[in-house]
Amino acid sequence: MRTVMSQTAQISRRTLLKALGVAGGAAAVSGLAGCAGPTGGPPPGSVTLGLNRSLVSLDNKLNQFDAAVTVQRAVRQGLTRIGPDLTPVPVLADRFELTSPTQWTVRLRDDIHYSDGSPVRIEDVSTALEMYAQVNGSYLAAFFPEWPTVVPVDDRTFTLETERPLPVLDYLMANILVTPAAANIPEELQSGLGTGPYVVTASNRGTGEYTLRRNDRYWAGAPHVKQVQVRFVPEEANRVVGLRSGELDLIDTITPDSAEQLQGLPEVRIERVRGTRINQLFYNFRKPKDHPLAKASVRQALSLAVDGRRLADEILAGSAQSAVGPVAQTLNGSVKCGAYHYDPRRAKQMLEAEGINDGDLRLTLIWESGEFAGDTSVMEAVVQMLGDIGVGVTLRQFEAGGNISEWRQGRAGDWDILGNGYASPVGAALPILQGMYGGTPERERTRDTYQGYVNPDVLRLLDEAYAEVDPARRQEITARVQQVVWDSWPSMWAFVPNSVLAYRNRVTDVALEATNSYELANVGLEA
Amino acid sequence: MTTTTETETPKRPSRVTPAQLRDAGVTRRSRTARVKIRVGAVLTALVVLPVALADLLPLPDSTEQDLASRRLPPLTDGHLFGTDQLGRDLLARVLDGGQVSILIGVLAVLVSGLIGLAAGAAAGYFGGWVDAVVSRLLEAQMSLPLLMMLLLVVALFGPSVPVITAVIAVAQWPEVARLTRSMVLVEREKPYVDAARTLGLPHRGVLFRHLVPNVVRQTSLVVLLLLAQAVLLESALSYLGAGPERPFATWGRLISDGQDYVTTSWWLVTLPGLVIVLLVVGVNLLGDGLRDAVKGTKKGATA
Amino acid sequence: MTTYIVKRLGQSALVILLTISTVFVLIRMAPGDPATAFAAPNATTEDLAQIRTQLGLDGSILSQYVTFLGQLFTGDLGTSYSFRAPAFEVVLDRVPYTITLALAAVMLTAVIALPLGIWMARRADTGRETGANIVTIAAQSMPEFWSGIMLLTVFSVLLPVLPSSGFTTWSGLVLPAITVALLQVALISRLVRREMVSNLTSPYLTVARAHGIGERRLVWGYALSNSAIPVLTALGTRFAAMLNGVVVVEVVFNWPGVGSLVVRALETRDYPLIQATVLVTAALAILVQLLIDLLYPLLDPRVRLGKATAR
Repeated sequence: MRTVMSQTAQISRRTLLKALGVAGGAAAVSGLAGCAGPTGGPPPGSVTLGLNRSLVSLDNKLNQFDAAVTVQRAVRQGLTRIGPDLTPVPVLADRFELTSPTQWTVRLRDDIHYSDGSPVRIEDVSTALEMYAQVNGSYLAAFFPEWPTVVPVDDRTFTLETERPLPVLDYLMANILVTPAAANIPEELQSGLGTGPYVVTASNRGTGEYTLRRNDRYWAGAPHVKQVQVRFVPEEANRVVGLRSGELDLIDTITPDSAEQLQGLPEVRIERVRGTRINQLFYNFRKPKDHPLAKASVRQALSLAVDGRRLADEILAGSAQSAVGPVAQTLNGSVKCGAYHYDPRRAKQMLEAEGINDGDLRLTLIWESGEFAGDTSVMEAVVQMLGDIGVGVTLRQFEAGGNISEWRQGRAGDWDILGNGYASPVGAALPILQGMYGGTPERERTRDTYQGYVNPDVLRLLDEAYAEVDPARRQEITARVQQVVWDSWPSMWAFVPNSVLAYRNRVTDVALEATNSYELANVGLEA
Repeated sequence: MTTTTETETPKRPSRVTPAQLRDAGVTRRSRTARVKIRVGAVLTALVVLPVALADLLPLPDSTEQDLASRRLPPLTDGHLFGTDQLGRDLLARVLDGGQVSILIGVLAVLVSGLIGLAAGAAAGYFGGWVDAVVSRLLEAQMSLPLLMMLLLVVALFGPSVPVITAVIAVAQWPEVARLTRSMVLVEREKPYVDAARTLGLPHRGVLFRHLVPNVVRQTSLVVLLLLAQAVLLESALSYLGAGPERPFATWGRLISDGQDYVTTSWWLVTLPGLVIVLLVVGVNLLGDGLRDAVKGTKKGATA
Repeated sequence: MTTYIVKRLGQSALVILLTISTVFVLIRMAPGDPATAFAAPNATTEDLAQIRTQLGLDGSILSQYVTFLGQLFTGDLGTSYSFRAPAFEVVLDRVPYTITLALAAVMLTAVIALPLGIWMARRADTGRETGANIVTIAAQSMPEFWSGIMLLTVFSVLLPVLPSSGFTTWSGLVLPAITVALLQVALISRLVRREMVSNLTSPYLTVARAHGIGERRLVWGYALSNSAIPVLTALGTRFAAMLNGVVVVEVVFNWPGVGSLVVRALETRDYPLIQATVLVTAALAILVQLLIDLLYPLLDPRVRLGKATAR
């Protein structure tokens, strides 16, 4: 059959084969050349950050995770920021004072300007507030009982006016990032101008990579590092390996296990601070009145079965503390209300006193994968601990994108305990208490309270605290709110994780703050 | 050995020496097949037997935690495979997880085998629109982003064992169907089919009483190879978070849970993975060897 | 020829439309709400309802589908929720990475499998060939995420010589490509061996041998070039299949291709992005397959298009 093939056919075939080979090779080379730079490792004068979540935008209107705060603030700034001791520090403002119960007076610094040199106007602040208020599903809305209005006084001074006293406004305003009014929209901004120490020069949506260049005209003095590369590395294992090998210079919000793995490596340094986030095994407060969990004594009994010390010290590798109050101890205005004790014998007695014997109680524990570091191990350990006092637990783990929020609202299925983390971006206890425990019966009608927690005493006290202008009196009421919440046993167990960050030795002056962020402008590179 | 063969040589009425016989292609091929079958059987048994007998072996309970002995390396304190992040015996967990993984694999292959056999046989025998529908379905599935579709379906129906089994079965039926179809196409033209039809047997009777029994043996060999793929597919789904719900600790789940400890506790990832590899290699070799062996005996019947 | 292409393209368009429709319905039936992924964790029911309206998710699935089809025919695939950018562009940003990985993997497969297959053909059914065969089967039997993690542990942790994630340098391509190629070598090398054995034992080669042509030329010149077509076709088909996503390997190595994109899109229930990914990858895979089928008759004159061949 082959022999009858004509000569021309054979030539064309062979040519075709060759052409194919050449074309394939060329395509490969050009494809590759388009995708990657020729060099390996970070370029000189550059720092590479490895974030575990994608920095979709450089804005915080909708969502905010800790690492993003660092990068967002390197580009855009607010009037204040939450400082290292979790109190507000003025940034774009040089004056931020409560001048009457419902009025704050603010003055912009006279030396600030955007990275293109244009000045910051009062209008930019008022527009920013409007845009944050308009955005749907905003994260900050829950912390703002009402949005203040801006009333200009002169070209640098203005007042922030509210209907009712808003004593924590200086904390809250730290989350309102300022950008030129004309460019602001009620959505997250993808690019644009800011006053911060860095400007975005390139971004690749596809890979979640951002390149920040030093803003040489930064009003507070240009930062040390010429260029910052932000990479999105979702898998924790990849981040750890990347830091070890030098592909990444800095990874933040790492798990206790990753910290353990990196501990003792000569080229890696680890920073730890006590965090502001609180992670809870929260009870379902939408249970019918006759359900055991509707009784505070049963909730307390179950708490006694959980060995918080073991969970914190062993499973979470000592990088968390059991909570001693309803919010993280680090927050301003938080007080110690009690402690989680481990006493399974008493737990059993208390349950029996309520008529609950071995095997009578079966609970469902729900959580979403990755809700906090070591989540799965904690949940599996809790199953065993409750099993020891004769309480059965079924685990239901939701993958990202699943319908856990429907479950939380009780619309998709019944549950008893929720593994949940609550971020506290404002540094003060009061707004967090308001956000978590300030659920009202009206809000509960649409199931918009925190797992059904509605407590009239707490509501009354919160109202009182917000209306109180005298700081000492306000603190007294805030402390009382916390005690009332604690005594209602909302969580089976709660803990405050440390914020942990690891970086390579060549990077200097990484000062991790309790908010789990750091000032990118201060970071340097070893010569 | 050699001495005995030499003494036997004169008795053979042939110039062909035993050495030549030994080196002949056919003998070598069947020997290769034998080697594969033996190695495959040993490897498969090495995994399947302990998994099947897990409950009888003197092992700690796979769910029993001991927070004081977390992440012990292999061969410490009687833990052959070491312990995991909660101090559970890894060997017990691997064997336990294996029961689920293998069960899912076997069930999925049975289901896909039945679907594939029925659809393929119908397409090959009846032709026409039946063939068109089945063939287009096969093609469509070939061009689909399979894994993504599987993830979607698991998200839709929930990660229970029956759902995952069904999903894997659906992923695998085309292979069986295509093979069955091509074999039925050949078989259909044989005289015995004509004979059966002439005797007045209805189509369904011819197909299922006469044709299918003739192709089922070949198909069953492919099914063995599919079992290996099913185990791999299940572990990939578990790895991507779409494995059977906890407390089932399937192999993929063990590996993805252990991945976070990869730089300090290598055994959490390496050992469960090795067990998967042993089983899959074993099953693959077994399937391969059996296929080669059949090819050797039945001339011309190529898959 | 033209009729054939038109017919094939028509069929492909139908397959893609069916696929995308299935995906469209499936994702909307699956539990989970894009609004919750889009909004803050403490968003109220009212907020979520507003977001759903904003995203065009408030109507029935049927009305959404009609809108979607209308947009599809004008070339609009919607805006990705999580990237807040046109879904089609987001996918196109990622496609080159997947193509690069797939090409590298296919070339690596060829480089290993061709010599190996030839070697196996020349030692057909010997103990050593069986050994090599078992090794390739073992490579094929490894779960890709496991072999990926193992490679990563050895080459990025123990001997940190290769990057572990992403594609910032050329060397980042090595480990993912090896991981993908491991799965393919068994298949391709066996195909090479089978083709070579049938060519080496065919009459024309015996004639050539009788003409005194050297063994080396017989193997590398005659037998190999006649085995090339099926092998190239198989490699092309593997390439086409990889365009549909090397999902697991991309996730393990944080490779910024469409496979890891689709996993993320699923996690955020990013409907437009899921649809765009499925559409683009399915279309690419089908086109590459079509191209292979079109080239086949040019390479092998015995094959004529449009005539059914048992494939």
